[in-house]
Amino acid sequence: MSDRRNAAGPYPPLSPIVLVTGKGGVGKTTIAAGLAAAGAKRDGKAVFIEFGDGESGNRVLAGARKSGVMHEVVEPKKALERSVARLLGSRMLAKAFIGNFAVRRMLRAAPALRELAMLDAVGQIADKAKGKRVVVDMPATGHGLAWLRLPMQMRDLFGSGGLYELSERLVHRLVAPRACSVVVVTLPERMVLQETLELCGALEREVGMPPARLVVNRFPQPLPAGAIEQAMALGTDAADQLVEVLRARELARAEALSTLREGASLGVDVQPLLLPQAAFDPNAVQVAEWLMQQEAA
Amino acid sequence: MSRTPKTVVCAGGGGVGKTTTSAALGLALARLGHKTLVVTVDPARRLASAMGVEVGERVNEANVDPTCEGKLFALMPEPRQSTRTFIDILFEEEPEAKERMLRNRVYLLLADAAAGMHEVVSLMLVARAVEEQEFDYLVVDTAPSRQGLDFVGYPGRLATLYEGRAVTWLGQLSRGDAGDDDGEVRDRGGGLLAAGRKRIESLFGRLVNPQTLRDLAGLFAELAIVKERFARLARVSEHLLVGEDTRYVLVAAPSGSASADVRFLSRRLKRLGQRPTALVLNRADAEPPGWLGELDAQGAPPELQAALQAVQAEFATRVRAGDHLALTLKGDLPGVPSVRLPTLEARDPSRIVRQLAGLLGGHLALLAGA
Repeated sequence: MSDRRNAAGPYPPLSPIVLVTGKGGVGKTTIAAGLAAAGAKRDGKAVFIEFGDGESGNRVLAGARKSGVMHEVVEPKKALERSVARLLGSRMLAKAFIGNFAVRRMLRAAPALRELAMLDAVGQIADKAKGKRVVVDMPATGHGLAWLRLPMQMRDLFGSGGLYELSERLVHRLVAPRACSVVVVTLPERMVLQETLELCGALEREVGMPPARLVVNRFPQPLPAGAIEQAMALGTDAADQLVEVLRARELARAEALSTLREGASLGVDVQPLLLPQAAFDPNAVQVAEWLMQQEAA
Repeated sequence: MSRTPKTVVCAGGGGVGKTTTSAALGLALARLGHKTLVVTVDPARRLASAMGVEVGERVNEANVDPTCEGKLFALMPEPRQSTRTFIDILFEEEPEAKERMLRNRVYLLLADAAAGMHEVVSLMLVARAVEEQEFDYLVVDTAPSRQGLDFVGYPGRLATLYEGRAVTWLGQLSRGDAGDDDGEVRDRGGGLLAAGRKRIESLFGRLVNPQTLRDLAGLFAELAIVKERFARLARVSEHLLVGEDTRYVLVAAPSGSASADVRFLSRRLKRLGQRPTALVLNRADAEPPGWLGELDAQGAPPELQAALQAVQAEFATRVRAGDHLALTLKGDLPGVPSVRLPTLEARDPSRIVRQLAGLLGGHLALLAGA
């Protein structure tokens, strides 16, 4: 396997809504911010959405603000209140309903409705963005698949009524490759990659949304040819230690590449993007530049 | 329950090595002869195989180090089984209600989609395990995110759902009776409860169709049958997680979000009336390895020089990142002692667990009160 996999394109264009998913600590938020920065560079404006308190967006978007990336924070409680208010046609009724002692406890015990409301909020933000790119930094727990399954499950469960209509709307708005792309971010470790490839397969099988991009972050750079043999020739104890470190790097790289090849043979039809390991984690603007160079932005 | 084990809860952002740290802490305690159960709510196959256990609903003896035979155990429940396990545990003695639950569409969907369901089920399994056999220590590895600590408060929240009248009340939605067959919800307020239920029922009616509302009410009616059992298990696990003997170890590693993550988690703990016991800083190298300084590739061919420079740069970066992490987190959590650990590299994850256990062994008084 050569580095051909990392050659520019061809990558299909991304849909207006981009959901970025991956385990914690893989650099998902940085990639999401890079995709938003690239979108803003192209269209003059883009939106970065995060679920939670706004901290991660504030951190990764520092420096990308001037480029036209808007930061939206979707807070679960508010999202639910808004969605229910739209369904009941009244904020007061929504408050009375959600505030009922038993309903409140039920919602805390079963947060699926809150998650549906958060997806609803994404749809609303995308409507306002009028076709400009909207990137969602998905939560690290309960990977993207569970979130994407939710609208269909809810639609099938409810059959009719307000929540049915909301779910139906979300299926069209989000669980549709033409409206929405999924970007999966992962790391070049064998077990992690295998899990990721399984997720990619499940995305296609279960919700009909194969990932539009698979980004393998912190990919080890190749060693200069012959370096290991030359280190062995030094023959000192210290040189032996170096040989061990160099061998480990080379092995990790070879293993990651072969796992990706297995994925391709299992029918995961996506050209992986290998973001090379650097001394420091890149910022949103650097990731955007790299994605554009690869023609993958 | 016979004797409550001392609990160590490990929390941290994603990718900081929290699961490995939990396993190593468990091993270090077991090496001292303490019978220890390590529970992870996010089973990584890599770690399960490193510890020589199966992912599943039962406690297994770990097989990672021959020096602690009979002392180290692990529980790594399979997330995809949670919906089923939940019912199996709660409805053990109610086979008919169990059958109805397994056919209830609202339950199957809500349970499958519910974030936190797996954590709750894991805790119920722990509560059952400590009732079945005694442990000296319980090491809990939380979910790999900032929300990981939420579940510490979850059992208590669930217990209030089941101890109060909420479940019974919800179970009577759409049944058209006043519900006075149950003493607990007998309407003492001059029909106020019934009126309130009518109002919520009509709002529900605008959101879902009548069949779904009946399924929803049915779900809560079934849960009402086992609410004592549920509340008891919830209280047992709450006691394990927020007891007086519980310690909270925050795990961090160099990454952009390290500082924000520990501050967030420490705020969460404060809300639970707790504080972090200690910080474990993974991959926070204090110095480059000695052998690296001895190497001088001068005169060596350019390929070797390039490779050596790359390795030197890598280790220098690690030390800078380690210094930065230690300094920043000290400022974030003043007064919380920390354990700084180097990057461990090994092909075999079980070797990393053993090495890490060796390094943590000197800090057990701090980390676990052992």
